Amino acid sequence: MQPVKWLVDFIDVRLGVREIYASELKGYLLPPKVNVWYTLGAVLIALFKLQIITGILLLMFYVPDAEKAFASIQYIMNEVPYGWLFRMLHAVGANVIVIALLLHMLSVLFMAGYKGRREFTWLSGFIIFNLTMGLCLTGYLLPWSQLSFWATTVATDAAGAIPVAGEFLVEFLRGGATVGNQTLGRFFALHVVGMPLLLLGLIAVHLFCVKRRGVSSPPFGKEYRASEPQPFFEYEKHQGGIPFFPNYVVKDAAVICFFIAFLLAIIFYAPGMFFPESAFQPADPFLTPPHIKPEWYFLWAYQTLKIFPSEIIGLGVQGLFMTFLALLPFIDCGPERRPAQRPLFMTCYVLGILGFVAISIWGHYS
Amino acid sequence: MSCVVFRSVVLVILLWCPVVAFAADTVCVECHSGQPGALGEPVAAWRSSVHAAKGISCHDCHGGDPTNFALAMSPERGFIGAPEYDAVPAFCGRCHVGVLDAYLPGMHGQALDAGGAQCVICHGSHSVQKAGLELINENDCSRCHDYDRALEIKESLTGVDTRIKAMDHDLERLHRLGFATDSLASGLFNLRNQFHRIFHGVDVERVRQESGGVQTELDQLASAVEVIDDTLAQRKLWGSIVIALFVLAGVVLVLVRKTYEEEEQG
Repeated sequence: MQPVKWLVDFIDVRLGVREIYASELKGYLLPPKVNVWYTLGAVLIALFKLQIITGILLLMFYVPDAEKAFASIQYIMNEVPYGWLFRMLHAVGANVIVIALLLHMLSVLFMAGYKGRREFTWLSGFIIFNLTMGLCLTGYLLPWSQLSFWATTVATDAAGAIPVAGEFLVEFLRGGATVGNQTLGRFFALHVVGMPLLLLGLIAVHLFCVKRRGVSSPPFGKEYRASEPQPFFEYEKHQGGIPFFPNYVVKDAAVICFFIAFLLAIIFYAPGMFFPESAFQPADPFLTPPHIKPEWYFLWAYQTLKIFPSEIIGLGVQGLFMTFLALLPFIDCGPERRPAQRPLFMTCYVLGILGFVAISIWGHYS
Repeated sequence: MSCVVFRSVVLVILLWCPVVAFAADTVCVECHSGQPGALGEPVAAWRSSVHAAKGISCHDCHGGDPTNFALAMSPERGFIGAPEYDAVPAFCGRCHVGVLDAYLPGMHGQALDAGGAQCVICHGSHSVQKAGLELINENDCSRCHDYDRALEIKESLTGVDTRIKAMDHDLERLHRLGFATDSLASGLFNLRNQFHRIFHGVDVERVRQESGGVQTELDQLASAVEVIDDTLAQRKLWGSIVIALFVLAGVVLVLVRKTYEEEEQG
């Protein structure tokens, strides 16, 4: 024990870490009624860290060249010690991140956590969500399988429906008329450098917003009172709340453990869940596989484009929906946060989830 | 022999090469699909065939230029049209080299000039499907002769055929898990071809002898699959332990949180 105390003293004298611990960890209080949904932020940070670690390991062996990319993935899966595990953690982990992100967003919407001058928190989170989708899309091409190639062809084709700039946009995304080596190069650069850097910055902004404004109390129980936000900056204090460390951190850690167990369970018991047959065939620009479909989280967008008579209407509807979601805190700005007291919102909420699931299933079977 | 091997390799590459597997509509298909009767029927039959699925189109068998309406049926572009009855084995045998080699010295091949069975009698022509033992059946065989001998051959082939199908299924399963099964699949493909060649000689004794060789090679493939399955079982075992540890850690942390909750309420 003595050496540990000596080490802490050594650092404390130089950096004042005990003061940071007292004010930012032990003294950082969360709402007394904070529930399990509040752990999803920590779960996402843990999963993103896992993506970075496994991504770096994959980078050691992956070759971003159309001639070699598929073979390098085969090499990782079959020859590199534990390469299959890193690759599966990375690929399946991306899907689990999307699940956690959706749950995080849905819980914030349900409890109206974006209210009370938390527009920046919501907006930064919304951009993180879209950036994660971008990371998934760019990462999808990298194995250079039939699935990668054709899903990217379909996804980039959709941009062509935009009037005037459509053709230019498609060529800009692909780096040429068709998906090829140049597309792989730019998607690789975006996936491993551009987007992760942006994501790290945005996560920092998001956490700053959460910390600076204070965590919102769950809108449940007799103690809850709907209050009008003040016209000046105000930190939401939680007197008598739960200390962040160690009291709440153990709950974060427990849910992180359960999520990692869930991720590992997919890898070991249902490894093919997110990989159709075309994911194991090398890309072939001359052979269009039948029934090529995007990943499950893009199925709603894929099907929306097919529902409407023209793709531009489908894109317009998607754009309107996403803009509405992004600007929700500016539209739904009343003080009431209790779900039972917001019948119109809750109807839209439930119908929205059912619509997302129904259109995705439709997209899967269409 | 080396020529046969070379042609077999070329055939394997052609069948598996996805570039060639792209069966776009050729001028043959465009023109014939609109024609009535015997001129148009082959197109519909071909579309549902194993040839269409593998990208083998009209010109691959009949020759001609599939990109030019005017030269589509030009002998200068290699158009040979439909073969005569006794020329069918040589016609199909340009690709199915090993099968032709087995067929010619066999009873069917030896009886060809006298109207003996050739390829399309059993397999059909444009609607040809992936060949299987179901092609040997009483209805079809007894059109020309007694079924007894054919049944004897079929029975001696059934065990191997079942194993080949099971192996194919196993390799597909492992491929879907990301294992590099290309060399094993290629071995099985060659073995299946070797096996298919055997019974085209319709010689019961030879079938029995050579089936043994195929069984031995299947045993080797089965050993390789077993090694991969053992690896998978090991992974699953260690994976289960790690999952259990994470669940346990989660439960312990939940219990620790409960103690904090009691402190907070007290």
